[in-house]
Order: sequence, then structure tokens, then C-alpha cells
Amino acid sequence: MSSSSHHIIPLKVLFATAGALLVLTGLTVAVAYIHIPTPFNIIVAIGIAVAKAVCVAAFFMGLYWDKKINTIALLLSVVFLTLMVGVTLLDTMFREKPSDIYNKMPAPPPTTQM
Amino acid sequence: MATLPVLKEYPAQEHPETHFLNHDKSLKSWLLTVDHKRIGLMYLASVIFFFFVGGVLALALRLELWEPARNFMDADTYNRIFTLHGAVMIFLFIIPSIPAALGNIFLPVMLGAKDVAFPRLNLASFYIYVGGALFTLYSMAHGGIDTGWTFYTPYSTTSGSAVISMTFGVFVMGFSSILTGMNFIVTIHKMRAPGLVWGKLPLFIWSLYATAIIQVLATPVLAITLLLLIMERTLGIGIFDPALGGDPVLYQHFFWFYSHPAVYIMIVPAFGIISELIATFSRKTIFGYWAIAFSSLAIAFIGFLVWGHHMFTSGQSELSTVVFSFLTFFVGLPTGIKILNWVATMYKGSIWMQSPMLYAIMFLFLFTIGGLTGIMLGALSVNIHLHDTYYVVAHFHYVMMGGTVFAFLGGLHFWWPKFTGKMFNELQAKIAAVILFIGFNMTFLPQFVMGSQGMPRRYYGYIEQFQTLHQYSTVGSWVLGVGFLLIFWYLVQSLRKGEAAPSNPWGGRSLEWMISSPMPPHNFDYIPVVKHGPYDYHQPIAEFRLGIDDGHSHTETKAH
Amino acid sequence: MSHTDATHSNSHLQHHFVDSDQQFDSAKLGMWLFLVTEILFFGGLFVAYIVYRAWNPELFTMAATQLDTVMGGINTLVLIGSSLTMALAIRAAQTDNPSASIKYLASTVALAFVFMVIKYFEYTHKFELGIYPGEAYSFTGIDHPKAHIFFSIYYMMTGLHGIHVIIGIGIITWLIIKTRNGAFNSSYYTPVEITGLYWHLVDIIWIFLFPLLYLID
Repeated sequence: MSSSSHHIIPLKVLFATAGALLVLTGLTVAVAYIHIPTPFNIIVAIGIAVAKAVCVAAFFMGLYWDKKINTIALLLSVVFLTLMVGVTLLDTMFREKPSDIYNKMPAPPPTTQM
Repeated sequence: MATLPVLKEYPAQEHPETHFLNHDKSLKSWLLTVDHKRIGLMYLASVIFFFFVGGVLALALRLELWEPARNFMDADTYNRIFTLHGAVMIFLFIIPSIPAALGNIFLPVMLGAKDVAFPRLNLASFYIYVGGALFTLYSMAHGGIDTGWTFYTPYSTTSGSAVISMTFGVFVMGFSSILTGMNFIVTIHKMRAPGLVWGKLPLFIWSLYATAIIQVLATPVLAITLLLLIMERTLGIGIFDPALGGDPVLYQHFFWFYSHPAVYIMIVPAFGIISELIATFSRKTIFGYWAIAFSSLAIAFIGFLVWGHHMFTSGQSELSTVVFSFLTFFVGLPTGIKILNWVATMYKGSIWMQSPMLYAIMFLFLFTIGGLTGIMLGALSVNIHLHDTYYVVAHFHYVMMGGTVFAFLGGLHFWWPKFTGKMFNELQAKIAAVILFIGFNMTFLPQFVMGSQGMPRRYYGYIEQFQTLHQYSTVGSWVLGVGFLLIFWYLVQSLRKGEAAPSNPWGGRSLEWMISSPMPPHNFDYIPVVKHGPYDYHQPIAEFRLGIDDGHSHTETKAH
Repeated sequence: MSHTDATHSNSHLQHHFVDSDQQFDSAKLGMWLFLVTEILFFGGLFVAYIVYRAWNPELFTMAATQLDTVMGGINTLVLIGSSLTMALAIRAAQTDNPSASIKYLASTVALAFVFMVIKYFEYTHKFELGIYPGEAYSFTGIDHPKAHIFFSIYYMMTGLHGIHVIIGIGIITWLIIKTRNGAFNSSYYTPVEITGLYWHLVDIIWIFLFPLLYLID
């Protein structure tokens, strides 16, 4: 082979990856039946999904052996998606109810009787 | 062990008989071309056409605003016209203007490549743009829309106007922008000539690179936003409409997540052009090359984190307003660095005041005003008063028109001899530039004053006290119109009877000036080898024409 | 320098590339950039999901009970299987084995069809209950005023994903036809490679959709 971009993935790696994905899928379902307190249940579920995605990206999609720029492109998209989620949540999760704002206002001055 | 190839000088052919414009004159060779230069020209013609459409809409608006009450159009028509002016100018003119038109023509040439990485995708990108434009025209023919170019919910989900065809047209055009971005990133990464390391790239290329990254990351979010809007209208999905249990502020987050980086798609390529103009016409190497290069990337990155500054009064949380305000101030820093570096480049330079340079200097003045007023708007307490007033309108016209359009005109004049092979009348160009400068300030300076005094934007009628300022602004719009007509006139004259252009009229050092004007069909008949940076004016021209034989015979059997 | 060997012609080399390696690398980077746009495109829907789940956690828990975990789980295994067959198809093209490549590409299409059939059953079952997207929602089994929003998000996410599966079926079928016509070999299999990248992303998106929609405990 003259360059790494034409790397032929060994059969053993492909089947091992598929196997790992099956196991992780089983884990995904199993974890859903165990009660884990929020927010950790979400963290665990996403964590397992990320592990599966990494397997697919690194081994099925060949990033492990590929030129680094392709991995950087993928990571960049994840970074920006995370930023979009995170910064939006800075608004949606921290809104004050209008009633709270009214409660924080100082009491109006007494009206003068004419 | 291979020996190193011998470097030869490949001088440019002056006034070539055959070049990319005339080597095949059939209509089919243009409509089915995969030549990036021809595709760029088709984009150029299209964006100029839509600029005039948007301009006529603007003149109509300003005419209606001559008197406080109704002049010749009713309020509903007024709403449709200002919406259309915004949508046409933003999506059909300014976003493709520098990258898809000038960028397509010059990016491969500046890299020493024969074309972009995916020439057929490039052609597809143009036709997708045309397709999107047709949907927009269809929408216009059905009365257009009256929601403002921002399509805010819940009005856009319930308005009776042609929202779906307009948003679908914009959705389609987004793919054109994405494909251009993809093409540019791959071309810059994979197709640079030997010796052309990142540190020797012209700054225009760096700016197109940063812009392409924004296009690829941001435009898909616009796509999903518009898709959700269409679904909301047709199926009543309920994510954005409070009547259905949704949140209208969420729409604004989705919309501005694209639309703020979009303004950097508009201005960053303009910055790239200004770097080229100022270095060339100061005959001096750019001051702070890496600072300018990295500041483009910094602006691209930070620009993704400031979108909430369009939403300070929308009802988003106090925490997010504070974060967005801080980051908005922060994004001004890399931009400020550029302005300082450009001025430092001019210092002790040998200034040649040709019309492209005139545009660049006007840009410095106008964009600084635009940029600083943006910072003003980023201050939370001030924004409460200025949001949705003419202050905002003036701010964005100073950056988009005083900035991008002036830089676009500067680039157009700079590269005109290269892609047409003709020179234009320099005196007329200078006069037109000055007319534009006067007309522009007459139109938009009064708007800062009006806005700070409380004149709201998008208003059809207004109170007496603002009439004088509105009238100054309207007269200014007429001066602008005259200026643009003059430019159109002398450029057409240049095509008809302009003097034949030399390969390097301005003494530039980047690769486009090393080949003939107009360019050869395949750009280079050799493999260019780059030894020096693009602003090394003290090196003789011969040093920039070096290359090695590429062993290809260029027969015309390959269809282009 | 060029990857082509004596047995395969260089007719696929486009004139603006120096050699076929540069062309192949460019195609791959181009496809990765397209996948980046897909991630941000679907990403918007994930944002809507996260925002509404954070606002209405109990709704999401209740509504997810209407989704069939078994069918979703089978579909997850089906797509993972199809990713494996797709990777094997590419491998077969790389090793000058077109008949094996066709076999694996056809398997990928078959698995994709299974996915869509299961999806069809899931959707029709919901329609029977009155669970439609948007204003047509008429199911009364979930006691929450915003139940229709959960399902609108569900339909948008799985619907858009389903459209991408169908597009994938179309492209892979085209690959089967081209392979039968002898278009691909160890020197040139770029379309197979980049279609594979697309298909793996379709799999990855489902890997996230499954736990987020079906497995909210």
C-alpha cells in the first residue's frame, strides 16, 4: 500500500467492532431498566452512545488510520453542536418566571391622597 | 534517488489571443462549464443583477418615507417591500457576492491550481443558487412576505403571505453556500502548489478559508430552522408557536445561530480583499500577517457564540444576556487587530492612490464606524433603547454596505483587468467612488441620529420630528443610485472599448498576476513553484513566475 | 507516486488533480465536510429535544412509554449490521472482489429495507392510536398538555433520519449496478468509500436517537 488513505481494514477488526457494538447496545438497553438518578442516567446513556459512535467512526469509517484532518472535521462539528446546545440552555434553563421578577421589585411608593 | 526538477521561469503571455473567455464561445460551453472562472463570472453577473433588484426596492422604501403618512404605497405593501429588500440583499446578493463570485474566480489561481477540488459540484452549486432564486421570485410574484427577513414566529407561522415558497427558496440557496464552502476547504487543504505553505498564502485565501468553515458549520442550522418553520406552518408542529405550546424565543435562537455567523460570512472575505488592496497599493508587506490570518479564524469561532445579542429584549434569561454581551465585546478584538494592522501597513508605505485603494481607505473609515456602533449595541443597557430602532439599521448598513459592498467594489476594480482583460476609466472610477461615499453617508448617518432619538425600524409611518432626517436619508439614496449607475456605465464601456490590460497592472506578487489577462483556460500551463510570500514586493517579478514542467498536454478535447 | 498499478488504467484521474491519491484524499475530506453539515443539521433537532426535555422531563418519561423498545432495539441491531456489511463491501472493492462487494452491498440494502419496514409498522401503530405529528395529534392516553410536542419532535427526528435511510438505499443500489458493470477495482472505488462514510453516519445518528427517544426510564 502506498498511502494510509487506502488502508484495508482487517476482517478481525471489522468483526470485533461489530461485536463491541452489539455488546454496547445490550448495555444501552440494560442500563435503561436500572434506575439511576437524573442527571446521571442521561450521562450514562449518552456516554454509551458516544462510545458506540467512536467505534463506528474510528473503525468502520477508518478514522483510526486516516489523515488527521478528517478526524478534526468530525470533532469540530461535535464541538460546535455542544456549544449550540450549551449556550441555548444558558437561556432556556435560567429564565425567571415573570411572577419572580415582580416579587423582586421594590414596593411602589404610597399614593398621595388629594 | 530522484533528482530535484529544474525551476524555469514561465513569463505570462501579454494580450493573449485565446483565453478562458473565448476559447469556446458556444452557449452550451458556458451553461455546462466546469471552469471555476466561468462559474464565478456567472455568479458575478447574478449577484450584480440581484443587487440592482434589492437597490430598487430600497429606493422605493426611502421614497415612501419622504412624508410621514402614506405617499404611494400602503402599509402592507411597505412590509412586503422591506422584507424583500432584506431577503434579496442578504441571500441573493451579499452572501454569495465575494466568496462565490470573486472567490470562485481567484481561489484556485492564487493557490496555483487548475480548478477547485470538485468542479462539477461547483456548477451544481451555481444551479442550486439559481433554483433557490427562482423560488424566491415565485414567492415575490405571489405577493411576497411581510414578516421581515428574519421570519420571526409566531407571525411567520400564521401570516397569510407566501412564507413557504420564500423560506424554501432560502433553504435551497443554503445548499449552494454549503457546497461552495466544502469545495474551498478541500481545495485549500489539498491543492496548493509546491512551496505554497500556509504561511505564504495570500490573506484573501485565509479569509475564504475561515468563511468556508463558517458556511459549512452554520448554514445547516439555517436549513433545519427553515424546515421546522415550514413544518410548523403545514403540520402545526408546535415547537415555536406559543398558541400550540411552543416557544418563539427558541425560534430566535435557532435562526440567529446561523444568521449571526452569516454576517461574518459577509464581512470576513471583505477583510481578505482589504488586506490584498492595502498591501499592494502601499507597496509594502502586510503588517502582522499571522495576526490577520489567525484573527479571521478567531472571528469565525467567537462569532458562533454571540448570536443572543440580537435577542437582548426578547425575554431570554438575564444570564444569557450577560454572557452574550461579554462575548460580543470580545469579538470586536480580532477585528480591531485587523484595522490596526492595515493602518500600520500603510505607514511609511509608498501609497498609490488608484481606485481600488480609494475603496479600501473608505472601507477603513466606514467599517470602523459600523464596527464601533456594533459594540455600542452590544452594551445591554444601551441596547434596551436602541433595539429595533434605526440605529441598528444604520449599524448594519455601515458594516454590510460600507464594509462588504465597498470591499467588493474595491476587489471588483482590482481584479477587473485580470478577468476581463480590459482596463476601466480610472478618473470615472474615482469620481464614482467619491459619489458613493458621499451618498452612503448622507443616507445612513442621519439614521444613527434618528435611531438614538427613538425612530423605530420597519415603521411605515413616523412622527413629524423625524421628517427632515428621513428626507436627508432619501436624498442620500438617490446619490447612491447615481454612483452605482456610473460604475455600471464605465464598466460596460470598459468591456466594449477599454484598453487591453497587462498581466500585472498593479505590480502584485500573488499567483494570479503571473498569468495572462484574461487568464488561460486551465490557469497554468506549468506547475507553479512558490518561493516567496505574496507581499514580497522587493523580490523581482521573475522570482514569482518559477515553475516546473507538468508533462500534460492541454488538448481541447476535455469538455469545459 | 501514483497509486495506480500496471493492471488498472488511470482514466479516472481528473485533469485538475496531480495524482489519484490527491483525488481520493480530496473526495474523502469533501465527504467528511458534508457529514459535518449533516451533524449540524440533525443537531438542530437534538437542541429542540434537549430544550423541551429539560423543560418537561416528566412528559418525556411518560411519552416514551408509547415507543416500542423492542422494535427500536431490533432496528439498532439492524443498522449496526448494515454498517458491518457496508464496511465489508468496501473491503471487497479494495481487494478486487466485485462479486463479494455486490453481495455485501445488497445485504446492506436488505437490512436498510428491514429498518424501514419496522419503521412503517411503528408509525402505522401510532397513527391508529391518533398519535400524529402536529395539530392532527388526537391521542388522549398521555396526561400532559404538551404531549404533541414530544411526538412532533419524535416524528421530525425519526422522519428525517428515515428519509436519509431511503436516500442511502437509492445510492447503494446505484453502487450495485455500477459494480456489476465493472466500474470499481482496487485502484478506484471512491464512490463506494464515500457512500460508506455517509451510511455509517446514518447509523451513528440512530445510535443517538434510540436511547434518547426510546429508553427514557
